Amino acid sequence: MLIVAALRWSDQRAAVDPLTGEVRTDARTSGASAADRAALEHALRIAEAFDGRCLAMTVGPVEAEEMLREALSVGAHEVVRVEGPAATVTEDGSETARLLLDGLPDRPDVIVCGDHSADRGTGATPAFLAQRLGACQALGLIELEAVDGGLRAVRRLDGGRRERLVFGAPAVCSVEPAGTTLRRAPLPATIAARTARIPVAHAGSLRYLRAGTAKAFRPRPRALPAPVGSEPHQRMLALTGALIERTPPALLRPATVEEAARELLDYLRRHGYTP
Amino acid sequence: MTYAGPGSLSTVVDETTKTFDVIVVGAGPAGSAAALEVARAGHSVALVERGPFPGAKNVYGGVVYGRILDELVPRWWEHMPVQRWVTRRSTMVMTPTQALTVDFRTQDWGKPPYNGATAHRADLDSWLAEQAVEAGAVLVPSTVVTSLLRDRTGAVVGVRTDRPDGDLTAGVVIACDGVNSFLAKEAGMYKTGHEAEHLTLGVKQTLALPRQTIEDRFAISGRDGVDIEMLGCTGGIPGGGFLYTNLDSVSIGVVLALTGVSKAKTRPEDLIAELKRHPAIAPLIKGGEQIEYSAHLIPEGGYHAMPELIGDGMLVAGDAAAMCLAAGIWLEGVNFAIGAGMYAGRAAAAAVKSGDVSKTGLAGYRTMLERSFVLTDHRKLRDFPGLVLSDRMQQRYPGLVCDLVQGMFQVDNPLPKPGLRKLLRRATRDNGVRLRDLLRDGWTGMRGLR
Repeated sequence: MLIVAALRWSDQRAAVDPLTGEVRTDARTSGASAADRAALEHALRIAEAFDGRCLAMTVGPVEAEEMLREALSVGAHEVVRVEGPAATVTEDGSETARLLLDGLPDRPDVIVCGDHSADRGTGATPAFLAQRLGACQALGLIELEAVDGGLRAVRRLDGGRRERLVFGAPAVCSVEPAGTTLRRAPLPATIAARTARIPVAHAGSLRYLRAGTAKAFRPRPRALPAPVGSEPHQRMLALTGALIERTPPALLRPATVEEAARELLDYLRRHGYTP
Repeated sequence: MTYAGPGSLSTVVDETTKTFDVIVVGAGPAGSAAALEVARAGHSVALVERGPFPGAKNVYGGVVYGRILDELVPRWWEHMPVQRWVTRRSTMVMTPTQALTVDFRTQDWGKPPYNGATAHRADLDSWLAEQAVEAGAVLVPSTVVTSLLRDRTGAVVGVRTDRPDGDLTAGVVIACDGVNSFLAKEAGMYKTGHEAEHLTLGVKQTLALPRQTIEDRFAISGRDGVDIEMLGCTGGIPGGGFLYTNLDSVSIGVVLALTGVSKAKTRPEDLIAELKRHPAIAPLIKGGEQIEYSAHLIPEGGYHAMPELIGDGMLVAGDAAAMCLAAGIWLEGVNFAIGAGMYAGRAAAAAVKSGDVSKTGLAGYRTMLERSFVLTDHRKLRDFPGLVLSDRMQQRYPGLVCDLVQGMFQVDNPLPKPGLRKLLRRATRDNGVRLRDLLRDGWTGMRGLR
């Protein structure tokens, strides 16, 4: 049984230039987020329960191998780095999912991801993984465990409610970091992982989604006539509409739905919206 | 979880096979230099670092003098991650409303083989550790050494870490675990018991400024940089201040005697805020946006505060051995750490090769330090730290110097210019300085400079 921990490599302490908006990242502070670390821990536990293999993988540059070395040191049986860029800011997650699946040596039984990454943060990749794999998807999980040959999970819902799920493989699970901490790696494994060779899969280039240029909404300019009046006071009144006779607001309390509808239609007719 | 501290925490182990020939604790400048030398000598070495990467937890407030790197990395200036090469060195004596600056500039320091540089420690320490790893050292990050392992005779034979199965054994342990070294204390190498008196607290803010603004304000260009050291800016608390330029930021801070800041009940950030408002400093940093705030202890006790440097199976180097030099106009630490680490690495490699890792077998470390600048400079300037941190130097001399210079340059026509003797008499009287104290301190200073 192959249990995959799909990890996102991103800078956990990225700085944003307040003047230019440029995002500055540093490979030394990059790694797995708390949710991804929880995903790795869940993957290890499920692999242990099913007596299967745990494979940790990521799409990223060579600097991302540090994260995979940690995965090896905590007990992942194997790791794979899919050659890819550090940032996927124009990508919707579908391409990352494709690269991950193309880079896998075998068809996975369970894939565990963090619920969303620290940089992109859409949480869409697990859904694309599930769709491509034809697997069921369980997202927003705060508990995940292997029981009776299947998986049992607790999912967070709005309003403090919880949903209990029972499902089987193949499945893609995205987990929150709540209550799950990645185990501390033993020292001998840590030292061994420092010099371990990290396999690299070249699963093709990333096909960026071309969504066009997004611009902020700006209404068209509208020319307004200058307010009428020889005195500033008059122009001010004309501009603000103060002291001008108007129809006062009417508070209606229709007794029935039919009466309310009739009132609305009358109003629209009076103002020329309906014949 | 327990951490290294009293000797009673050491774990006694029976004879075991050695995991490494040498273990270096701490991947700062001293540790990386030590690991580099051991690895180059062909021995196995682990470089254990508590931070997620070398330099992640380190702070300094000044200039890296890289000359010692000539022995470690040929043409180091082409590879070392430098922010700016210091070509202007200023010493500023201040009172709340006055400032006298001695400003020196030389373009010789802005070209190979260079003199000093400003650098970010995260970059510098990572780079130096990288040299060690490339030479064969095994870097073990995010791992805290919690205590020493000893054999039945009391000799150090390894370390215990906070990881599961976390014991590492080796012929020699080099403690480069920084100021307030728990390992050196656990090994009983610190005897004085007055550590707080020998420590200062360095507090630093890094302020982002456009590169062009920095170059305009500090009158520099290209990769040239400025280092300003200040006296009299700490509100009477023994210490000093600093301001230096990075590429697109400046670092400003104060260094305060630990006992003084505790007694004064003043918060360090208030002192930095006051320094930033000083009329001589405010225009230089105006508009800077704070991007970093850090604080760290500094071992400024000098030669008198150093621990034993050698034990059976153990060496101490860098800040762990109080090797930071804070002697008035000389404020150096990283170069002393690199030098001490390098010699520790050489001594450890030689001891491992000879098969004698006892105190006697490691004695070459002390010999190398004494023949080099590390202990020679410290011994020569051993009385300076006390003089610099004395009440007179901190609270009276800045005012005396500033008043004297103000009197010299102030034109009080129709009165004629006062003589220097009269000015000196007035300045000493106004600042409560006795002439004999002034002469005695001058003699101490001159003696140190011989």
